[in-house]
Amino acid sequence: MPKELIQLRDCVMQYGDDVILDHINLYINDKEFLTLLGPSGCGKTTTLRIIGGFLSPTSGDVLFDGTRINDVPPYKRMVNTVFQRYALFPHLNVFENVAFGLRMGETVIGEGNARYKKKIPESEIQKRVLEMLEVVNLKGFEKRSITALSGGQQQRVAIARALVNRPKVLLLDEPLGALDMRLRKDMQIELKRIQQEMEITFIYVTHDQEEALAMSDTVVVMDGGKIQQIGTPEDIYNEPKNAFVADFIGESNIIDGIMRADGVVEIFNRKFQCLDKGFGKDEPVDVVIRPEDIDIVAEDQGQLKGTVTSVTFKGVHYDTIVDFYGFKWLIQTTDFCPEGSRIGIKIDPDGFHVMKKSKYSGMFGDYSSYSEEYDEINDPTLLDQAEEEGTDDEE
Amino acid sequence: MKKRPGIGGRIGIGIAFLFLYMPIFLLIIFSFNQGESSAVWQGFSFHWYAELFHNRLVIESVATTLLVSLVATAISTVVGTFASVGLYSMGRRWREGLMTVNNIPMMNADIVTGVSMCLFFVAFFSGWGSFAGWVNSVQHVIVLPDRLKLGMATLLIAHIAFDIPYVILNVSPRLRQMDKNLVDAAQDLGCTWMQAFFKVILPEIMPGIVSGALIAFTMSIDDFVISYFTAGSSTQTLSMTIYGMTKKRVTPVVNAVSTIIFVVVLVVLIVNNVREARLEARGERQHRDHPKLDAIREYLGSPKSRWMKRGVALVCVVAFVTVVSMLTAFTNSQPVVNVCSWGEYIDEDLITEFEEATGIRVNYQTAESNETLYSLLKSGGADYDVVVPSDYMISQLIEEDMLAEIDYNAIPNFSLIDDRFKNLPYDPENKYTVPYTWGTVGIIYNTTMVDEEITSWSSLYDPKYAGQVLLIGNSRDAFGIALNYLGYSMNTTNEDEIREAYNLVKEAYDRGQFQGKVMDEVFQAMEGGNAAIATYYAGDFLSMQENNEDLAFVIPEEGSNWFVDAMCVLKDAPHKENAWKWIDFIASTDSNLRNMDYIWYASPNTEALEKYPEWYEEQYEEPLDEETYNIIAAPPETLERCEMYVVLPKHIRELYNELWIDLGI
Amino acid sequence: MKNKRALFAVPYVVWMAIIVVIPILIMAVYSITTEEGQLTTENFTGMGLYLSVFTRSFWLAIIATVISLLIGYPVAYWMSKEGPGFQRVAMALIMLPMWINFLLRTYAWMSILENNGLLNQLFQVLGIIKLYNAVTGQNIEYFQMIRTPGAVVLGMVYNYISFMILPIYSVLSKLDHSLVEAAQDLGADSFEVFRRVILPLSLPGVLSGVTMVFVPAVSTFAISRLLGGGTEMMLGDLIENQFLGGAYNPHLGAAISMVMMVIVLVCMVVMNHFGEGEEQAVML
Repeated sequence: MPKELIQLRDCVMQYGDDVILDHINLYINDKEFLTLLGPSGCGKTTTLRIIGGFLSPTSGDVLFDGTRINDVPPYKRMVNTVFQRYALFPHLNVFENVAFGLRMGETVIGEGNARYKKKIPESEIQKRVLEMLEVVNLKGFEKRSITALSGGQQQRVAIARALVNRPKVLLLDEPLGALDMRLRKDMQIELKRIQQEMEITFIYVTHDQEEALAMSDTVVVMDGGKIQQIGTPEDIYNEPKNAFVADFIGESNIIDGIMRADGVVEIFNRKFQCLDKGFGKDEPVDVVIRPEDIDIVAEDQGQLKGTVTSVTFKGVHYDTIVDFYGFKWLIQTTDFCPEGSRIGIKIDPDGFHVMKKSKYSGMFGDYSSYSEEYDEINDPTLLDQAEEEGTDDEE
Repeated sequence: MKKRPGIGGRIGIGIAFLFLYMPIFLLIIFSFNQGESSAVWQGFSFHWYAELFHNRLVIESVATTLLVSLVATAISTVVGTFASVGLYSMGRRWREGLMTVNNIPMMNADIVTGVSMCLFFVAFFSGWGSFAGWVNSVQHVIVLPDRLKLGMATLLIAHIAFDIPYVILNVSPRLRQMDKNLVDAAQDLGCTWMQAFFKVILPEIMPGIVSGALIAFTMSIDDFVISYFTAGSSTQTLSMTIYGMTKKRVTPVVNAVSTIIFVVVLVVLIVNNVREARLEARGERQHRDHPKLDAIREYLGSPKSRWMKRGVALVCVVAFVTVVSMLTAFTNSQPVVNVCSWGEYIDEDLITEFEEATGIRVNYQTAESNETLYSLLKSGGADYDVVVPSDYMISQLIEEDMLAEIDYNAIPNFSLIDDRFKNLPYDPENKYTVPYTWGTVGIIYNTTMVDEEITSWSSLYDPKYAGQVLLIGNSRDAFGIALNYLGYSMNTTNEDEIREAYNLVKEAYDRGQFQGKVMDEVFQAMEGGNAAIATYYAGDFLSMQENNEDLAFVIPEEGSNWFVDAMCVLKDAPHKENAWKWIDFIASTDSNLRNMDYIWYASPNTEALEKYPEWYEEQYEEPLDEETYNIIAAPPETLERCEMYVVLPKHIRELYNELWIDLGI
Repeated sequence: MKNKRALFAVPYVVWMAIIVVIPILIMAVYSITTEEGQLTTENFTGMGLYLSVFTRSFWLAIIATVISLLIGYPVAYWMSKEGPGFQRVAMALIMLPMWINFLLRTYAWMSILENNGLLNQLFQVLGIIKLYNAVTGQNIEYFQMIRTPGAVVLGMVYNYISFMILPIYSVLSKLDHSLVEAAQDLGADSFEVFRRVILPLSLPGVLSGVTMVFVPAVSTFAISRLLGGGTEMMLGDLIENQFLGGAYNPHLGAAISMVMMVIVLVCMVVMNHFGEGEEQAVML
């Protein structure tokens, strides 16, 4: 049975009237890869900083291995952090950056929970740093200046610097945000590998849902200072709890529907078979249909009929926008249907996912204003990076 | 979350600010002092503020300071901005090389910059002199002025020189931050590159320009050292005026000026801060780059669009107005006479009176000592007409052919000078001089700190008074007194005697006999009861006694020096005719009486000297103390004990100098 | 097109050549010639006479720099931790005294430090002088503060400390706070964070503060005269004395100035060499 390593109990973070975290309860297991996922301002970084010890919650408890650690300063916690922009020490070389934590000594918990520092002998520091650099594939870079490293290399140093201290938990605050797409994908695999090799808990903060799905054991979706859903990546994708989660994780068409009976949902005044149960009779619900769960068929064979308004080639598939009774759906299909053609669609019962109405109902899942510009374009970190590169080469 | 510092940090900052502001509060408080002291409170008054408007020296130097700072700022802002754009457009290597040179005036010690410019100007002027002479000799269409002098123009050049680097350092980072594509975009949209400069680059770097201008202005206002070396004698900035005053006594008028400046700047800062706070509340942030500059920029605030435009417009208008007024001032052909004398050595009402009577403007300057005056004249930094050196310096100036023969026909009042003061050794045929004052050197002591009556120089070297004695701050007097005490002539050329005198002083010096080595600083020290014994001039003693009744004066039994300060006209004086008029005016009995009353130095005018006690009684309705009169004008039997300095041969002067330095270091 | 705009700098380059470079060359020429225009090295070799002035200037300037650093660093550090409003006001308050003429401020110190000055009066009232006499068995009426080397150092610290605080503050306030957090995260307590992260990263500020205090302090000429009672001759006084003072000898003055300029340049080079790596790193 997995051990609960970290517990956040009823944590509230508040600045004046500004509630950043709203009664968060979170349990994190040992050796787990947990991701805090959400848009910026959702409170994910705040949660991470509370665990790291940089913030103290306004109310609520933080427990580590069953002990309350609200008042333990960061330098006495057995967690380490990989910071968003790495926060590498520019005045130290690669080796010294990694050795920094070791030179501070090891935190030892003595009698009565008193924490004190134990000095680590220089020979051991040498050994551990070199070992760690090997783990992150930076052997031979010891003497390099931090400024002479590429983004990916800096990233590895940051990870090595944190891991060399053998923390119980590694906190990662959007660590891949500043890397380009390719490098990001590589680092995702790398991180996962390291986590498995080191057998420690990773708490990972990101706003990139793909990243979250690809790496995590558990995903915590947050918005507005609240946890929206906790679950495995599959749960989160397949069984989103509300429109927010459904929209944030992957593409989804979200339609108002009415639950006519267990296994029967009505949309556009038409009844469809589904697998969902346990709703009240005639309860208004949100219905999620993932774009890849929709099959395009000939117009006369379709359960619903509509007009194609836009087609975009995406490589593996076409993004086809279809207008059904004024409501635009996104369909991802390998079949090409020219713009303006009339089509029918078919959805299997397991293609429907019915959710209770929430405050997010009606806010997401409509592709009326669909444009090709995916989230990446609006991704602020990417833009920042581009800017930075622009200024860098000028210096 | 940043942790705010605890109470300890705040207290630390508080103490640091107390340290920074203690003297400032003090000088603000004493600007409201009834009396003239800067240490003793004598009641509240505004009269120094009222006085401010009558103190021409202060007003003029404030005006000069503002004028130079504004014009220098305006010019250096324009030049600096263009230069930054130019530098930005250059290749990296060129740019870096030029930036290094650009940093030189900023990094170099001010005194080195000042000295190098001073030398440059002097060298340029002498070169120009021969050039202009040649041009004028070969043609007569254009007449070039053949004598240039340090003055407003050189001061301005110097200020521009050290202002430009600040502008460039502020503008350059802005340029580097600018999106390189902007100019291309503008050209793509049809701008010529000139238009692109005005429409795109300029607005983009405007904040840098404004902060550069503000910093340049602050630096100009604050500068003393560079101005001191490049302004020459006829132009004085406020710093220079204050420097002149700190030697003797700073009039609280300067405190008043400073208080006004302080309050104005304070108000500007407060307004700026409030605005800044608002901007910050709106989330606007400024860029940071150079540590030194941002710090300054931070304090100046980041000027933003509307305010900035107004600011720039204001600066332009002010600069324009000042340039125009400066031009009118230069073209103003009011006759002038440039006079250089000693500090507090004239009843200033006489100057005004002379100006009203003749329409000749008097540029009245002061030098610190005969030696300083000599340096000023030698370095070409001065364009004086009339100087008032002491006897031995007059000989030296005559020897070096620096004085003009006086046209005594133009000075009828010369006949009023007592024959005792004519044809003295320094000017045996009386061709160059009209005596101004005469006096003696003696011991000044504080009767509350000395419990005997002092009669001999020996007390200067008496271990009993160790640490209580002030040594006079020039070699001639300091060694002269020692020679006199040892029974030698003050004008001896016997090196052994001089070395013996030196050893006497040196031995006392090394065992801490002397609290300090002072010239006019003696006023502060003696009036405040900070030292027991000093040697200085009789007339100055009486000024000190007015502020401290415990002081006493004696001409020691061994004898002393008596001196004559006489008005001379320099050989290359530009306004000789006016100089005669000034000398004649000063030589009159009335002027002599008033000067004597004001500065307590004896007059060489027979009538004035005789009539003074009578005149005094009329003025103040009380009889003049005979003792005081005898101090002002030493009676003949005392004068017999005294010796007048004669000019020493060059090698002895060098010996004096060498020994003096040896003593001081 | 780019080169065309480079022409904008031409007037300034010409200006710089005439007003900055030529004067220094003239000064150099002066320093190696005599009054009669003959080449000589005497101006430099003769400087040995003033060795004690050099040592005193450097010694006092170093002390003043160290004291400024010891006071200025904590002040800058505390300031950088305050809120933005506080920082702005503190900044303004540090710069404000610059608008009061420094001679005047120094002059005000005279009346504070005099034997009969405010400070001694305060000591008198507080009974400190009596206490001192009782403890040491001496019989003094005042502490001799003015006309001592200490007063000169005080004057330098007072006049130049702003130039120490400003650059350090500027660097500290720009310091990426996540580096501090990273160090804490890696187990550094506040002392270690300061020693291993904040201090080394603020070094460029410290270096620029040190030069900005040291250069004017070593070359000052008015402070020593006002507060040092004329007995503490400094390099600045020596130079001034050669040009506008009693010992008229511009050649020697130029030579001393040259030496000073070389020292300053060396300082700059050392500082650049030292600080470059860090500065670039900080700009990351």
